[in-house]
Amino acid sequence: MSRAPVRNGAAPRRPGDEDDICPVCKSSRYLNPSMRFLVNPECYHKMCESCVDRIFSHGPAPCPVAGCARTLRKARFRRQTFEDLHIEREVDIRRRVAGVFNKREEEFESLRDWNNYLEEVENLTWNLLQGVEVKETEKKLDAYRRQNEAEIKQNAALESQEIADSEAQFAAQKEQARLRREAARNEELDERREKEEGRREIIDMMAKGDGDADAIARESQKVILKKSTARRTAAEKSRQQAAAKVDNGAAAAPLFSIQGLKRIPQSVPEKEYDPFGGYAIKPAYYYLRDHYEHSWLDNARSDAQITAGGYDVGEYCARAIMEASGGLGVFIEDEIEGREKRVEKEVGTASAAIASGGGGEGVDGDVL
Amino acid sequence: MKFNIEDLPVLFPYPRIYPEQYAYMCDLKRTLDAGGHCVLEMPSGTGKTVSLLSLIVAYQQYYPEHRKLIYCSRTMSEIEKALAELKALMKYRADQLGEEEEFRGLGLTSRKNLCLHPSVKKEKSGAIVDARCRSLTAGFVKEKKERGEDVDFCVYHDNLDLLEPHSLVPNGVFTFDGILKYGEKHKQCPYFTARRMMPFCNVIIYSYHYLLDPKIAERVSKELSKDCIVVFDEAHNIDNVCIESLSIDLTEDSLRKATRGANNLERKITEMRSSDAEKLQNEYAKLVEGLRDADEAREEDAFMANPALPDDLLQEAVPGNIRRAEHFVAFLKRFVEYLKTRMKVLHVISETPPSFLQHLKDLTFIEKKPLRFCAERLTSLVRTLELTNIEDYQPLQEVATFATLAATYDKGFLLILEPYESDTATVPNPILHFTCLDAAIAIKPVFDRFSSVIITSGTISPLEMYPKMLGFTTVVQESYSMTLARRSFLPMIVTRGSDQSAISSGFQIRNEPGVVRNYGTLLLEFSRLTPDGVVVFFPSYLYMESIISMWQGMGTLDEVWKYKLILVETPDSQETSLALETYRTACCNGRGAILLCVARGKVSEGIDFDHHYGRTVLCIGVPFQYTESRILKARLEFLRETYRIRENDFLSFDAMRHAAQCLGRVLRGKDDYGIMVLADRRFQKKRTQLPKWINQALLDSDTSLSTDMATASAKKFLRTMAQPFSERDQAGVSTWDSKDLERHKEKMEQEKIRELRNGGGKMEVDGVDGVDGHVNGQNGMNDDFEDEDMDALMRDVDAD
Repeated sequence: MSRAPVRNGAAPRRPGDEDDICPVCKSSRYLNPSMRFLVNPECYHKMCESCVDRIFSHGPAPCPVAGCARTLRKARFRRQTFEDLHIEREVDIRRRVAGVFNKREEEFESLRDWNNYLEEVENLTWNLLQGVEVKETEKKLDAYRRQNEAEIKQNAALESQEIADSEAQFAAQKEQARLRREAARNEELDERREKEEGRREIIDMMAKGDGDADAIARESQKVILKKSTARRTAAEKSRQQAAAKVDNGAAAAPLFSIQGLKRIPQSVPEKEYDPFGGYAIKPAYYYLRDHYEHSWLDNARSDAQITAGGYDVGEYCARAIMEASGGLGVFIEDEIEGREKRVEKEVGTASAAIASGGGGEGVDGDVL
Repeated sequence: MKFNIEDLPVLFPYPRIYPEQYAYMCDLKRTLDAGGHCVLEMPSGTGKTVSLLSLIVAYQQYYPEHRKLIYCSRTMSEIEKALAELKALMKYRADQLGEEEEFRGLGLTSRKNLCLHPSVKKEKSGAIVDARCRSLTAGFVKEKKERGEDVDFCVYHDNLDLLEPHSLVPNGVFTFDGILKYGEKHKQCPYFTARRMMPFCNVIIYSYHYLLDPKIAERVSKELSKDCIVVFDEAHNIDNVCIESLSIDLTEDSLRKATRGANNLERKITEMRSSDAEKLQNEYAKLVEGLRDADEAREEDAFMANPALPDDLLQEAVPGNIRRAEHFVAFLKRFVEYLKTRMKVLHVISETPPSFLQHLKDLTFIEKKPLRFCAERLTSLVRTLELTNIEDYQPLQEVATFATLAATYDKGFLLILEPYESDTATVPNPILHFTCLDAAIAIKPVFDRFSSVIITSGTISPLEMYPKMLGFTTVVQESYSMTLARRSFLPMIVTRGSDQSAISSGFQIRNEPGVVRNYGTLLLEFSRLTPDGVVVFFPSYLYMESIISMWQGMGTLDEVWKYKLILVETPDSQETSLALETYRTACCNGRGAILLCVARGKVSEGIDFDHHYGRTVLCIGVPFQYTESRILKARLEFLRETYRIRENDFLSFDAMRHAAQCLGRVLRGKDDYGIMVLADRRFQKKRTQLPKWINQALLDSDTSLSTDMATASAKKFLRTMAQPFSERDQAGVSTWDSKDLERHKEKMEQEKIRELRNGGGKMEVDGVDGVDGHVNGQNGMNDDFEDEDMDALMRDVDAD
């Protein structure tokens, strides 16, 4: 509610602004009461709207302020938010820096690290502001951005989430306050009405008239009192219920967010079980071709009698070549030296070899 | 006179005591024993201060803990009165005991009142005295002097360093006059003497602000121990004091000055970088370490302190992005610039601190955390830069305080931006109010820190409102009535004029000629029949001005002029004091005078119209607050939401406490007499909200009067008052000597015994032990009780 007007800050006419003069066309507010000033974040030189239209309508042009000569585009002209143009520029720079360095306090081990980080960033910003070592600083900024792209994105998302949450919370609170105010007003009205009714009743009773007037008055007074206390307790109760409901609602609603929790690192999804522990059997001394030209294999490829059983020629070729090159790279002398240690392993491989060899022979037999 | 309350011997410096004083002391003792807080209402002019002091001093001296007393009052004159009272009491004690006790009592007030430096004390404004004093007494001045540099310094202050730090003054009680004289004689600074002696005093008397305003409290009242007894006297306005101490108003002008201050700081930093970079480096290193130099923080010349309360005192290190001096100044500038931007808005804004912070962050990338440290960081910077002309930085300090408060508290505060001064103004003159809505925030640390807090005043009804608003619980909560030998004051409620039409200052009818004429007649009648002084209270300056001009047109004032001199209070304090002076002279010499004043003005708070200075007080209209004020509206809403106090209840309570305060001005003792007139139709219903002692004296026959009936009744009253009345008539009824007191005690004890006997099952054996002897003695007299079981139990106890 309160923000919009500040943003389009409609530089309202203020007493001090009367003598504002556009530095470019020298027209003053006296001649043009609706004059508005714009700045371009390229050089932050102020000029009036009509100057901007005049100079920059036909595409980019150099800044008309003497000694500036930067090329400006019309699209980037905007209203200034702050009176002080240095601050305007500072805020722009800060926006850029904050877009990159958006680490959060939770990410740091200790407060001191966090503070050091803050100072580092502030130093960087300071350099940009003062125009000291701009190039190097820019380079640093860029390097950091490229390095931590994902993280930056994540933090930005978190932040916007937080802002949205808090805005929703403000809105909810405002709404509740409004409701409560209304309830209080209603309550008061009810009370007044009831009082009025009570009084009328007394008068009616007195008018009808038998019995002592004092007694009637006293009796009715008592009734009124009782009514009002009953109503008050009821109101109190309903208020408490409402409060309880609000609490529950807040707890259940997705708007609710707890502040200040440490973020828990997300667990990495488990990999599929690999019985060989990452050991892949890849042929080291040969490579397999998809197709081997061999006349007696052609028959096996096309004969339905053979293929129907699931016989695969590729499989046969692979095994045949593997067996052919099986002994390569094995040096007996070395093996004998380390035999004692590797007995078990040997056994393992041997049995595997036997198994595969046996299978292979069976197939061979079938084919041949 | 000397007497015992339970086991505590009390020395009372007067030969006679009022019954209500005795009751008051008993309740005080109960509170102190129980170690809790209390609210006590005691009629004005019944010697509240002296009973309080004599009991607490007796308590201090008798029990081995020697709990320190911190007595807070509102105005300078009240503080002085209390000091004089204490001095008389100690003199009496010394006479009675035959020896001077080891006892110190000191008062503290601003530098302006306590300065002895020949040129500084001639300054008119308090702020300038403060600033000049600091420039002569700051720690670095001494360092420079030791280094042999040529600097101005204050001899009075430096002499203190030659004395032993724990006995700068001898035992005894020093009034302000006394300490000034002592200081002059021994060439030592009275202000710093008082400040430094505070930890060694038995009784400290100073203003509320030294305890409530967190900016001052941290410096002045930090070292007081937990078992201190804290007394807030004249505390009926304490909630407003609390709120004011945490509220800040910013204007465009102050922001401009703040910018200038920030620019100055920047220049100073650059200078220091080139000349004495080491100092800045040291400060920086300290901030990095996050160590707060304890000694330095407590130094007496620190020009400002953190406005956050002790609970929230920031224990962590200063955030990294404002650690370096340059960064911090840039930060401040940005913040001030942001505030300036906000001031440009042309419609009213009210928002909570969190929403303000959010917007601030969106626009300027200022985070909440460094904002919280603003005040502290500025203090540190100012100390490092060794600035002396601190008044230049006052606006900047205000901004920093504002920043810290806004970032510290989410609830109980509100920002209200009012672009125009009034509804009809067309030229914007924006003010940013940062208002505290919750009186409990400022006073909470006091209740948390001290075990016994006593809140007392002449008019503090309804009693239960204060604990509710200030968020504490009481062990004793009592209102005393006034015992009188004759009816010495006449409260009346006038609801109609002589023509039987209702009179009221209600908004709809306040300017009707009929109502104004009726009020005029009322004033005329009372000016005719009252001897000496008449005081008239109006709800506001605005109303007073309009009604006076209407009276002038009707010729009422010409009539009144025949009987009394007419004087008017104005918002200007010097004019008012002149008017008061003339009023007093007129009351002493001629036919008397009429003082027209405002119920919330200076006169209504703290100026006494005793005896012939005030025989009649007229309260014209119910002194409601200006309800259209946005700040008040916000506060009302807050009270409703948080404490379930309804708008109307609070407004009516507030109006009645001011009315009661006005009425109480006229009666300042038991030999005094006066008429109190409440002239408004609406007072009829609010009768119950008056303090007990006024309400009890207000007979049904004196309510709902018309002007002529009131006149008749007042005439009759004045006639009875004119009868001779000697002190002997009062004795035993409204004043007691020691014999009467003994008799009363005996009676009370008997009553207690009777209660115990009838009270059956609730009785505790301990309680009976105390009155054991009496039970024996009086068994014969009280033959007529029937409870057999009770009797048996009694005998058992006796056998023990």
